[in-house]
Amino acid sequence: MLVVELTDLTRVYQQGKVDVHALRGLSLQIHRGEFMALSGPSGSGKTTTLNLIGALDVPTSGRIIFEGHDLGTMSRRELSHLRRDRIGFVFQSYNLIPVLTAYENAELVLSVQGVGAIERREKVMALLHAVGLDGMEDRRPSELSGGQQQRVAIARALASDPAVILADEPTANVDSDTAKHLLDLMQELNESHAATFIFSTHDQRVMERAKRVIRMVDGQIESDQLQ
Amino acid sequence: MNGTNIPAIAWRNLWRNRRRTLLTLFSIVFGVFLAIMFTALQDRNWSDMIDLAARLGGGHVSIAHLDYSEIPSLKKTIQDASVLAAIARKQQYVTKVTGRISGSVMLNTAGESYGAAFIALDPTVEDKHTLSLLDPDALMEGTMFTTANDKGIILGYKLAENLGVSLGNKIVYTMTDKQGEIISGLARLSGTIKTGAPNLDAGLSLLPLATIQEFVGYAPGEITKLAVFIEDQRKSSEVAERLDDAINMEVAVLPWYRSQPELAAFIALKVGGTRFMSAFIGLLVAAGIFNTLFVSVMERLREFGILMAIGFTPLRLFSLVMMESFWLALLGLVGAAVVTIGPYLYLSSVGIDIGKILDAQGTLDIAGVAMSTTLKVGIFPESVLMICIAAVVATLLAGLYPAWRAGNVAPVEAIKLV
Repeated sequence: MLVVELTDLTRVYQQGKVDVHALRGLSLQIHRGEFMALSGPSGSGKTTTLNLIGALDVPTSGRIIFEGHDLGTMSRRELSHLRRDRIGFVFQSYNLIPVLTAYENAELVLSVQGVGAIERREKVMALLHAVGLDGMEDRRPSELSGGQQQRVAIARALASDPAVILADEPTANVDSDTAKHLLDLMQELNESHAATFIFSTHDQRVMERAKRVIRMVDGQIESDQLQ
Repeated sequence: MNGTNIPAIAWRNLWRNRRRTLLTLFSIVFGVFLAIMFTALQDRNWSDMIDLAARLGGGHVSIAHLDYSEIPSLKKTIQDASVLAAIARKQQYVTKVTGRISGSVMLNTAGESYGAAFIALDPTVEDKHTLSLLDPDALMEGTMFTTANDKGIILGYKLAENLGVSLGNKIVYTMTDKQGEIISGLARLSGTIKTGAPNLDAGLSLLPLATIQEFVGYAPGEITKLAVFIEDQRKSSEVAERLDDAINMEVAVLPWYRSQPELAAFIALKVGGTRFMSAFIGLLVAAGIFNTLFVSVMERLREFGILMAIGFTPLRLFSLVMMESFWLALLGLVGAAVVTIGPYLYLSSVGIDIGKILDAQGTLDIAGVAMSTTLKVGIFPESVLMICIAAVVATLLAGLYPAWRAGNVAPVEAIKLV
């Protein structure tokens, strides 16, 4: 089932007096359950592509269809709701809310959605168990290791049963052991929950695990290979 | 409190930088404390001054001839004072009603002549609550009249000194009667009073009402002014309006601020000054709060970008920062209440005697009113409410721009921040 379709996307940024062409006519289709990686050198457009799919940014031209909805026709509020309900983010730097516990961070999206307290508790506890954080739900981010914080971020990203999880360099700030465990976890979640993962990465380990690797150079797709 | 609702997150965000929050709270507490104390001082002082002026002049509300207030004259009288007094006594908030005759008199002794003002009163009806001069502490020597037909005269002590008279001495008083004829009468000095206001001590005399009524040719019940006293001077306007509606005669019903415009202007000027100062303090405090919230928001731009990424709307982020502002306001008010209550209770009951600083003994003449040198405070409930509302509004207004900034963060740019 087609989840995301990008058609002829361009994105031009203004950097001082210089125009930076981050994307130059990118077209791509992503299906449900994919475990794919966007690879390429810095400046190739990987993160820009992720931001556009995640409705965090607006293309200069082109079209983005997300589960049948044209993102270009949606209001700011509708895009916020889309991110809340259908997209999960895992960032390089964990990005947990420091004043909330692990439980509360994972629960945050469900709370924003208005899900009831009992249902929230059941779901979040199950997710924390799935990411291997039993007994740590009351700890704040400052009391967790880097790997544990990233697990909380993954639990948060999964909480709303999103159509797509966008992970921007999720293993960049963790040691290799932790990176392996995180990849095992995400792969298992991809298989058990049919969660669609799209990585932006330089990490060879991620590229090896991905079932589809799209190599980008200078804002365009150089290759698109199934593994 | 559920950790993921806006009020809870806002509360926790406030304590991320404990020192900064405490400093901001201190400024709110101090600002509200100053506003309360200044206003309490003002409310109490002006209230006391108005009550004193009422007890010296024509009451909180006066009833007189239509033209009397413009140019007072013994020719301008009101008839049927008892009927008017009965109507006045029926009104809500009215505590006492007394009839008086006021005017100018020339006082003569063998060697001296002095002009003065006189108030003719009925000592069986009046007391220190209707005329402050009747306070036993004001009587320096001698005794007050016992009836309205008494033949004595009471003088301000300085006036008595100037005339060179002592108790029991004869004094000739000369005035114009109702027809405008110059008439003279004789009285013996029965007492002297000391008010603390130099112009009164040197220029005021008291005479018995019925004696003067007969003397100037008034009918019984004919007077120059009916003084109406009320329990709360703030009700003067309301009582005057109702009295005016109730009285079906051509008389002037004037609240104190119209019968004593100089006092009203003086108080208005001082009140305006205090309000300006309070507003200025409020502005300084609001600037401090703005700085705190703005810096706090700028430090968290990346976090706001992440929150937007996971589905927070701009309005929700705006609400989050405004909630932080609200918590600051609430904590500030609570802190101000704790800090203010002790000093307020002390100053409202004991007060501070500024007599030594001002080199005054017991009383101070302010705009012709002899005020006590002991400063006390006493704030009206509506003043407290206004200050609290102003504090909350100022804090929320200070939070508006930082909150807007948080809600308008560009997620892509914010997430890139380190």
